[in-house]
Amino acid sequence: MAALRASGIVKRFETVCALDSVDLALETGQVRGLLGPNGAGKTTLLRVLFGLVAPDAGKVELFDRPLEWPESDALEGVAGFVEDPSFYPYLSGRVNLELLAELDGRAGTAKIDDALARVGLAGRGDDRVNGYSTGMKQRLGIAAALLREPRLLLLDEPSAGLDPAGVRDMGELVRELAGHGVTILLSSHQIVEVEGMCDSFTMLRRGRVVWDGTAEQLRAQAPASAYHMHCSDDARALELAGQQRGVRATPSQRGGLALAVDLGVLDSYVLALGSAGVAVRRLELLASPVESMFFALTSDSERPRNEPPELAELDRRALAGT
Amino acid sequence: MSTTSVLPVDAPGSSAFTRPEDGIRRAYRAEVRKLSSQIVIRVVALLCLAVPFIFAALLKVQSGAPADTLYGVWVHSSGFAVSLVVLASAGAWGVPLIAGAVAGDIFSSEDRYGTWKLVLTRSCTRSDVFVGKLLAAATFVVGLQLLTGLASMAAGVLLVGAQSLVNLNGTLFSPGHSALLVFLSWLTLIPPAIAFTAVAVLLSIATRNGILGVIAPFALALAMQLLLLVGTGIWSHLLLIGAAVFAWHGLFNVHAYLGPLLVGVAVSVIWTVVCIDVSWALLRRRDFAGTPVSRRQGWGGPVRVVVAITAAVALIAIAGNWGPAGVTAKRLRTDLTPAFNQLTVLQQRELGRHVPAGAKLTLVLPTCNRRGSVPYGPGEWICTIYVQTPSPGALPSQPTAVAYDVSVNWDGCYKAQSPPAFIGQQMMRDAHGHNVVNPLYTIYGCFDPL
Repeated sequence: MAALRASGIVKRFETVCALDSVDLALETGQVRGLLGPNGAGKTTLLRVLFGLVAPDAGKVELFDRPLEWPESDALEGVAGFVEDPSFYPYLSGRVNLELLAELDGRAGTAKIDDALARVGLAGRGDDRVNGYSTGMKQRLGIAAALLREPRLLLLDEPSAGLDPAGVRDMGELVRELAGHGVTILLSSHQIVEVEGMCDSFTMLRRGRVVWDGTAEQLRAQAPASAYHMHCSDDARALELAGQQRGVRATPSQRGGLALAVDLGVLDSYVLALGSAGVAVRRLELLASPVESMFFALTSDSERPRNEPPELAELDRRALAGT
Repeated sequence: MSTTSVLPVDAPGSSAFTRPEDGIRRAYRAEVRKLSSQIVIRVVALLCLAVPFIFAALLKVQSGAPADTLYGVWVHSSGFAVSLVVLASAGAWGVPLIAGAVAGDIFSSEDRYGTWKLVLTRSCTRSDVFVGKLLAAATFVVGLQLLTGLASMAAGVLLVGAQSLVNLNGTLFSPGHSALLVFLSWLTLIPPAIAFTAVAVLLSIATRNGILGVIAPFALALAMQLLLLVGTGIWSHLLLIGAAVFAWHGLFNVHAYLGPLLVGVAVSVIWTVVCIDVSWALLRRRDFAGTPVSRRQGWGGPVRVVVAITAAVALIAIAGNWGPAGVTAKRLRTDLTPAFNQLTVLQQRELGRHVPAGAKLTLVLPTCNRRGSVPYGPGEWICTIYVQTPSPGALPSQPTAVAYDVSVNWDGCYKAQSPPAFIGQQMMRDAHGHNVVNPLYTIYGCFDPL
């Protein structure tokens, strides 16, 4: 059974087409990454799926129940948040959750305590939300979603504002929920953060789906990882790259070399450099295969700040199989 | 984030996929909790409780009285008059302020805090949330209004006393009767209070601007009070909520007239229904797509609202002469004569003079003339009452002319005052040596303008 099926979703805001014939389907238990640069339409799509925005065309079914606008029963079993979770700042985190539980008809102190404990806010639940950090609000947003005991979780940039430990905990939570059959749609433009959590991906660019498939399909189609390398002899390293199958290298404008290479091949290349007396002084991963795919598919989107311009050419060549 | 519990996977049709019943009740309870947590609401509640006591205490320590307000001169004579004076102010200004404070930000605050997406993705529909907020706002507005009423009655009774109240025909209502009428009068404010609440809700939804939602009901009430001063016709006046807040006046006649009260209720219902319908239409079709830049920075919405309100006010002002005049010389004359008669009897009794039951002055019907271009309508009038007073050695007795300056409102309520030559000073000493209000010094009256 499909937990979510959206087809032909179109949404325009005045002259801007935010969503252009978007199709999206999630089977029960799937964890799908909804990826795209800022302005790709991810948040608008989530707003449509939550019934907050009525599409100009298309239809949505949640667990085979049609979602109607402006109000629908189809949202039962669905939870999550859009953009940053917002709460009533003059109330405590606990009272905010109590209000939401009241709206859900699921009031119960034990559930709220459990939800606060799950997200690590057990000790701060009685503090007013206006004293919360961004990360704490994000955690409270997760708690608010968990209160609904969702079967479908729609999360918009769930790791935004979280510290590294929080990001790790978020990943564990997502995996545990998925392990219990909860279907999850994770929206993000930070592909690294969701890469390990998702078993499938949908990529959006300018309101259109530009890629959709499983993680395996993505990795199979993805170009090599991109690295930046500083070594003791660039010319010799370039020469060795030319001799090594699967290694593409080009001089970088900021010094050193830009590489496009799979991880397994990279190991043998580094060993070959060592054998040839070339010392590797720094090797920096610029983009994983999935990231490379993401950047390639959304080529006019933002790229890592430290990415050398040569990488675009590497991506292009890698995607073209040259 | 510890993850210890197990989340079962339910099939559609199980309880996890079924929206709980009573969405409106749940939304209402959540909204009541939110409102009761807000400092502004708590401050308003404190003011509603404290202001009547402060007002009564100030009256207690000074000899002056708010004579321009109906029952104003009686505030030292009966605690119920204190409540009625508070009621007059509450109706004109207090209720719009309360409605604005409670309901003017009840929807726009969700925009300010960015919490629409939180509320509308729970197990309540958009209409549940709308109705729940509406009912919660109405509950608080009516509750705060009744709190003010009860506080004013308590303040009046505790600090002034539960004496009999002079009615608008010049006779006395017993304390129990007075208390009942004053309480009923406070209840008559409920329909206009709900109408002002609906206006505030509409502004809150339409403008998404909390400041405008809070201030505009008061500004609208002010505009309505000004419009009630314009024109001689009654129809356009009756269409204003501002008129409904004074509809309780008719209860204080010996033969109560309920026409303005019923019209006021009907008008309040119409305002409420129209505002709620428009509010729901706006909310129902709204896309919650975040806050567009243009809305954040633009003045377009508020400007449109102000222009619309100004146009409506101008239209009503132009229509001020629409319908028959409620205030005529005949109605005023017919109402003032028995009131003067009864108040004279009351004055004589308070002075300790024997007045047989059913005694009447021998009066010639007064003449009433309006100061202005037309001989009808609200405004300043002068009424001359001719009293047949027996003079020693003169047969037959000679009429004495008593001239009253009468300020008449559009709704037929008036205040008549005369120089003290015939009727005496404002305060007089009664048979027990107490300083009491001279009933004839200021005559309050109301007649049915319909």
